[in-house]
Amino acid sequence: MVNESTLLASTKAEWIKFRTVRSSMMGVILTFVLIIGLGVLVSSLERSHWSQVSNLRQATFDPVSSSLVGILFGQLAVGVIGTLFITSEYSSGSIRTTLTAVPNRLRLIASKLFVLFATLLVVGEVVCVAAFLIGQRIYFGVVPTASLDNGAVLRSVLLAGVYLALLGILGFSLGLIFRQSGACISLFVTLLLVVPIIGFFFPQSWQNDFQRFEPSTLGQSMFSPSAPSNSFGAWSATIILTAFVGVVLLIALALFERRDAGAVT
Amino acid sequence: MIKIDHLTKRYGGTLAVNDLDFEVKPGVVTGFLGPNGSGKSTTMRIILGLDRPSSGQATINGQRFANLKDPMREVGALLDAKAVHPGRTARNHLRALAASNQIKRSRVDEVLDFVGISSVADKKVGNYSLGMSQRLGIAGALLGDPGILLFDEPVNGLDPEGIKWIREFFRTLASQGRTVFVSSHLMSEMAVSADEIIVIGRGKFITSGSIDDLTKTAKGTVLVRASDHDKLASAVALHHGVVHEANDNGLIIGDLTSDEVGQIAFDVGIAVFELVPQRASLEEVFMDLTADSVEYESHSSGTV
Ligand SMILES: Nc1ncnc2c1ncn2[C@@H]1O[C@H](COP(=O)(O)OP(=O)(O)OP(=O)(O)O)[C@@H](O)[C@H]1O
Ligand SMILES: [Mg+2]
Repeated sequence: MVNESTLLASTKAEWIKFRTVRSSMMGVILTFVLIIGLGVLVSSLERSHWSQVSNLRQATFDPVSSSLVGILFGQLAVGVIGTLFITSEYSSGSIRTTLTAVPNRLRLIASKLFVLFATLLVVGEVVCVAAFLIGQRIYFGVVPTASLDNGAVLRSVLLAGVYLALLGILGFSLGLIFRQSGACISLFVTLLLVVPIIGFFFPQSWQNDFQRFEPSTLGQSMFSPSAPSNSFGAWSATIILTAFVGVVLLIALALFERRDAGAVT
Repeated sequence: MIKIDHLTKRYGGTLAVNDLDFEVKPGVVTGFLGPNGSGKSTTMRIILGLDRPSSGQATINGQRFANLKDPMREVGALLDAKAVHPGRTARNHLRALAASNQIKRSRVDEVLDFVGISSVADKKVGNYSLGMSQRLGIAGALLGDPGILLFDEPVNGLDPEGIKWIREFFRTLASQGRTVFVSSHLMSEMAVSADEIIVIGRGKFITSGSIDDLTKTAKGTVLVRASDHDKLASAVALHHGVVHEANDNGLIIGDLTSDEVGQIAFDVGIAVFELVPQRASLEEVFMDLTADSVEYESHSSGTV
């Protein structure tokens, strides 16, 4: 089926392709700017307003997730990186050149996924650890801080990176299904930012059952040291999100295997 | 060798390729000729495994394209010169292709040099002219030094010098024993660049052979100027000739040879002043062959 040496070769090729277009590099930079920038902004505000914050909020304050708040927007950047990695092949028509070089479609997607996941995982871990450390540095002396020496804190910060990498794969899978950047990016934003807002208008009982399955809530569970109310624990959330992304990816793969790739859409 | 085996392809209600069956042999340049929309690009996409056939199959040296291990080492193709990410440089584009088929990196510089775009190799492909993109596409096709090459309308966008260059290049490739398969919708192009021609129309096989074979089968006409055109026209009609045109300058007669027309004139006692056999032009031969299968016919008369 998929030969080892050729899998390595096509993965090398996809790595060259990934890093030689501006959109991937811009996306990575944007991820850093959003996550670290928003983290610095929110942490600084938290520190300067700390004395005015209610006792209840002070008691439930989580220095981990609040330093990682930039993920709210950073997740959109990784989604776009993932989407463009495949939709740009369709918009430019280069998918035809790619497939004449690597006609085994399963192998092609495996190579692309490998490059995307590995890159986003490294980016995600680096940016999340950095945002966390910078946040704690800002809190230091005024606001309670957390340390990576604590197992639950370390897990949260590392799973935050995994969350970003998984969302990149989700963006990629949607891209493979719809083959069109604009539609995919809108859908991605809807799924992550609009659906939670809509859920807000549903009856409370419904909200409780529904909200914890939303990707953004699952993410929240993944990067909180203790599970927020009405949501899954960190590991369960990781498994559910992985399964969710896996299903979308499988649908994308099945379509990609079947569809003609030559025609200009 | 490329083998097309009872290949049929439907897109929804459109029958793009209809039971095509032919072989493309090594050592010669084979032209793939047909009017617009006749299914040339579709056939080539199926050969390359991009589109799935509805029935039948296309094989490369007996194997389906998708089963080739490093396909660029066996088949080089240029379907659409613009099918490259516009934000990537030519060199990076070729480097990625080379890496995917385990081709050594030095080969990238060789092919860039060969097609003459080394000086712009580090510029983004999106800024390339069509001719430059075409050359980059050819560089990509040659990267794996393949024994089989496919080009879909390769002269599009090339200047006269480029066209001359590419024709000689096809000849060279064929003389090295490679299989060279080139599509075009222009008979005149095929006449100068191809040794063998396969003609299709509306997805169906029409005929194949050398240019000479094809022109021989096409019927020419005879121009005749004589003492009595009306009388000659009736006599010709009796012998199953067709009068295409008649005026004071003479008659243009089809379906008869010049010998036959001369003999008829003699038999009915008409003096012949001029008798000129007219060989059909290449474009006429082509139009004649594909007359029943032109998909997008233009209507020259009438208002729009
Ligand atoms: N993806 C597609 N979806 C629907 N119809 C298609 C598709 N691709 C091709 N066709 C149709 O199939 C037929 C053959 O098209 P094809 O592009 O193969 O012709 P062609 O010989 O290459 O024409 P041209 O000389 O214009 O390049 C046309 O009627 C075309 O409209
Ligand atoms: Mg075509």
